Amino acid sequence: MTTEKAHNSFAGIDQTYYQAVTEAIRLAAVKLLEAGSVTAVIGYLPGRRKGTASPAVVSDPAQAAHLIFSPACVNNLSLYLTKAKKGILKKGRVAIVAKGCDLRALAGLMGESQIKRDELVIIGVACAGVYAPGSDHTPPLIEANIARKCRECTVHLPAGTDLVAGTLPPLPEFTPLEAMDLSRLEAMTPAERWAFWKEQFSRCIRCLACRQVCPLCYCEQCLCDKNRPQAVESSPRPAGNTAWHIVRAMHLAGRCGGCAECERVCPMDIPLNLLNRRMAQELKELYNFEAGMLPQEKGPLTQYKDDDDQSFIK
Amino acid sequence: MHHEKVKHDFEPKIIAFVCTWCTYAGADLAGTSRMQYPDNVRVLKFPCTGRIDPVFILRAFQKGADGVLVSGCHPGDCHYMAGNFHARRRFAAFRALLGFVGVDLERLQFSWVSAAEGGKWVEVVTELTEKVRAMGPMQEFKALELEEQWSAVLGTPELKEAYEQIA
Repeated sequence: MTTEKAHNSFAGIDQTYYQAVTEAIRLAAVKLLEAGSVTAVIGYLPGRRKGTASPAVVSDPAQAAHLIFSPACVNNLSLYLTKAKKGILKKGRVAIVAKGCDLRALAGLMGESQIKRDELVIIGVACAGVYAPGSDHTPPLIEANIARKCRECTVHLPAGTDLVAGTLPPLPEFTPLEAMDLSRLEAMTPAERWAFWKEQFSRCIRCLACRQVCPLCYCEQCLCDKNRPQAVESSPRPAGNTAWHIVRAMHLAGRCGGCAECERVCPMDIPLNLLNRRMAQELKELYNFEAGMLPQEKGPLTQYKDDDDQSFIK
Repeated sequence: MHHEKVKHDFEPKIIAFVCTWCTYAGADLAGTSRMQYPDNVRVLKFPCTGRIDPVFILRAFQKGADGVLVSGCHPGDCHYMAGNFHARRRFAAFRALLGFVGVDLERLQFSWVSAAEGGKWVEVVTELTEKVRAMGPMQEFKALELEEQWSAVLGTPELKEAYEQIA
């Protein structure tokens, strides 16, 4: 559904910016580990293939000198701090490399009392964007291979971190593909929208990668895994798929910070972030709430006001 | 007093999720006052509207409901102080989500009916039933339920070609 139009004026993000960020992360990580103020640094190490990166928990200062930041650093590392991934980290303070969108997930987790701010050292990254899944991963980062979420990013510069690595290079105005898709869907009739989502959801193979990768899907028992009573059919049939995706979007409503990891890992390329974005937009309109901008104890659906909108209720 | 029952071509299934303290008592009042309302509605009693999970609505549609009604105490009258306030926000969000996925929101009705409003209950139920009757059966979820569509189809030319290339 994407129509990529390359802007000729934008030559791509300069490599020196990534080198500067990498240097800053290495410097901070080595310093923190050598001083013993953290037990580990969660960051990115170069992947086995050239031009790739993989998440890593680094506890040795010598290894920390190999940490990198590149447009291939797509993962949201806050995932490794949740109780769904417990056992990965030893007890104690940890440092974590966070892009702006990852920071929103971190703020969400802090608000929900999953992690404590004073147990974290957050190495923020002034992030210019990352590669889109399945795009050409050769530098530089240009309009043709930047991720959809990065086109409309509002959190390039992370706020409230312990330090910020790098300075933001000049960025062009990207075509807001997601916003365009959203308004295109909004303009459709319900029947057309249903047909669109039916086609999307029917491709789902229920690998549940969207759940596994989501930093906010940390429940130890997911409602959708329960079978007595069964809320959502577990086999990959259209009925259960539709229910799963509706329930997933509902449970993330008012919590999702929009890191779009669900969409990135989806092997069937279902545009899951459109659902997340739509819910975020609705809650912004109704209750003026934006998830993950600050650690907040109460989300929009766990608090109320006496004069909330009830125009839809008879 | 016998009520003449009109025959219709289509009798919609309406599922009503109601709170026990207000709407259930209101429906009870309608009954004890001998008010007539369509028997298309199946009432499910919950402790509070705050207990009604959006998943219940989804499941009702999947299992063949043509319309769903969610009804509870007026704001400020909740037996548990704030259950309906929370429900109000949750359903506002869920309604938007269903609308975005393409469900016709005319089939989903929310209302506040207190224990004294037997008449309002009759009105709400009758109106929803007639509205859904005019719209016809809810096809979308039923079609999904009947569908056995697998993500990967075995024996397609592409798969065969790929298989032969391995060998």
